[in-house]
Amino acid sequence: MNVQHRWPGESRFHGWLYLLPGILIYLVFIFYPILETIRTSFYQWDGFSKNRIFIGFENYINLVGDSQFLLALFNNIKFIIFYTIIPIIIGLFLASLLGRKKLPGMTFFRAGLFLPQILSMVVVGVTWRWIFNPVFGPLNMGLRAIGLDALTHSWLGDFKLAFPSVGSIGTWVEYGFCMVLFLAGMQRISEDFYEAAQLDGANAFQQLIYITLPSLRPELGVALITTIIAALRVFDLVYVTTRGGPGESTLVTGFLVYRTAFLQNNIGYAAAVATVMTIVIFAIALIILRFQTSHQEEA
Amino acid sequence: MKKLFPLFSILMILTLVLTACKPTSQATPTPAAEEMTLVVWDQFYRDVESNVMDTLNSEFEAAHPGVKIERVVKTLDDLKVTLKLALEQSDGPDVAQVNQGRSDMGAMVQADLLLPLNDYSTQYKWDERFSSSVASRNSFTADGKTFGQGNLYGVSPTAEVVGVYYNKGIFEANGWKVPTTFDEFETLLADIKAKGITPISFGSLDGWNAIHEFSAVQHLLVTPDYINNLVYGVNNVSFDTPENQEAASIMQDWVDKGYFTDGFAGIGYDDSNKMFKAGEGAMTITGSWLAGELINDTDQQFGFFLLPAKYPDKVRMAIGGVGIPFAIRKTSTHADMAAAYLDWMVSPRAAELWAQAGILPAMSLPEGSTIEEGSLFSDTMVAWNTINKENAVGHYIDWTTPTFYDTLVAELQKVFGKTETPAEFTAAVQEDYAAFLAGNK
Repeated sequence: MNVQHRWPGESRFHGWLYLLPGILIYLVFIFYPILETIRTSFYQWDGFSKNRIFIGFENYINLVGDSQFLLALFNNIKFIIFYTIIPIIIGLFLASLLGRKKLPGMTFFRAGLFLPQILSMVVVGVTWRWIFNPVFGPLNMGLRAIGLDALTHSWLGDFKLAFPSVGSIGTWVEYGFCMVLFLAGMQRISEDFYEAAQLDGANAFQQLIYITLPSLRPELGVALITTIIAALRVFDLVYVTTRGGPGESTLVTGFLVYRTAFLQNNIGYAAAVATVMTIVIFAIALIILRFQTSHQEEA
Repeated sequence: MKKLFPLFSILMILTLVLTACKPTSQATPTPAAEEMTLVVWDQFYRDVESNVMDTLNSEFEAAHPGVKIERVVKTLDDLKVTLKLALEQSDGPDVAQVNQGRSDMGAMVQADLLLPLNDYSTQYKWDERFSSSVASRNSFTADGKTFGQGNLYGVSPTAEVVGVYYNKGIFEANGWKVPTTFDEFETLLADIKAKGITPISFGSLDGWNAIHEFSAVQHLLVTPDYINNLVYGVNNVSFDTPENQEAASIMQDWVDKGYFTDGFAGIGYDDSNKMFKAGEGAMTITGSWLAGELINDTDQQFGFFLLPAKYPDKVRMAIGGVGIPFAIRKTSTHADMAAAYLDWMVSPRAAELWAQAGILPAMSLPEGSTIEEGSLFSDTMVAWNTINKENAVGHYIDWTTPTFYDTLVAELQKVFGKTETPAEFTAAVQEDYAAFLAGNK
């Protein structure tokens, strides 16, 4: 018998044709710039003149001893607390409040709590800069109005408070995203599990730990990856609110790249910082994905 | 208002043509009339400044038949980031404002993107219009490495001086006078504080204006030679000096005594100026560029004075200089016309228009023009003339090295936040300076 082996549907060629526009855009606007960035990181270059000097790994060697880079990297890692851990906890809490029972005005709450996520980060930054203004910002004015003058601070200018202040803006942006993700996941969980658990005498907290959380593993994976990436590549928020200050207390690698490349004309070094961050982000994403798929295979 | 502007420009051109108002730079031959478009990038984006530019441009077009100005307006931040790449293009801007200092003008000279203006300077007699101290701020050696000497690469239309703005209403109500010595100034600060008024309206969240507060006082303690050597990177001076430490400790003293706005570290530059303009705070220390803003939409009256001398045996300097200069792209095919445009930008007519807008021109006003006595503009004008006459025009110290701005901002925030001593501050900044001097050889 001579049956020609064919895939169902249209020919594979057609399939690639459909993908072409997307692939082209990806290659031109993402893949090529990444390759160029990696290439640039091996040069000493101001970004526009013709004297581009190949220096091998020198930029990378200098990175290791650069206290500003290490400080910025450490700040990025600290941002994971505000961008990932706290939003996931708040998201879980809100999702379990909104998810299980039909509440009146549910759509309103869901949309309202998600809203920060769809705003441009520059808008968010400018708004919060105003909220944190020590003289006419609503935060301090509110505190003064209820007699808590002792708690008023110069939020973004204080060496101890600037970092948590900027971080909490990140929390405000990310928690709605986590909540909506978890809400969607919860709709997949059969009510039967909860009924069975209730019969066995499990309280609400135990139901969360033993039923909701394990069932939400895929959503948790997505939330982890996106929010950790957000924490590691934060730029706009810092640029608008503190520009890395006071001192270096909110300096992050994203801002360092901008400053080194465009204000100090050291594109090669900035490209090295960017390349290292790309590798770090890739590695973390891979680890989380690995962890997630290995669990799915077990299940 | 914006829509009315083209109409206004046309009327202006008509008026000029009809009255045959000869532009003042007609003494020098105008390049032959031919059809061309001159692309100009500037950063005069605020309304007041933008109107001056539009007027100058349309007058230039009227005086040079066949020449069209294609104006592109950007903010300084935007201009800094995009200009370097644009100047490489064969269709890039013919004329552009190029920020002074090493990371902008210096880097562009190094990359051979700017046209040396020495010949045009002789042709248009710019050297007679500007002092050598002003010209050196727009000069680099041809390799772009030495600042302050060599070729001229730009001409600046505006001037700047950093001093003290004061609220006349608050001063009059309390019988306070403009201080004539630094001791009087500090006594005044204490008096204002005792009245429960903020002595110095200040916000350091944006970073850069802390450099001006510190450096304004620093300029009273050091010599003109020192500040020139430091900024131009010559004669191997150090930042780690007793004078710079003294200036930093004066800042910390003022922080301790509460002379700055409460919570200044969390307030931005524009916000602090808005509060000052609304009548909060008796004084603020910043540059003459704010004067235009302070005369519009406010019921308050403001004056301006230079920080008074601390030591009578020292030259009382003030931070100052000329605004961002216009330069010509090296590969421009309209270099002669571009030079005529530059001359137009620094003509007496330009001076007149800038003055009307309340902004200090870098060149002298046309003969016979009068300045309103006692106005804010006349105060800044007097201040600028004083430091010019006394040869006491200082520098923006953030030009010193390509990383100096960022280092100073971070370290001064530590000084103002009192997490660093003056000695630690000068040592940290000196580290930046020494690394630069070593690398620039």
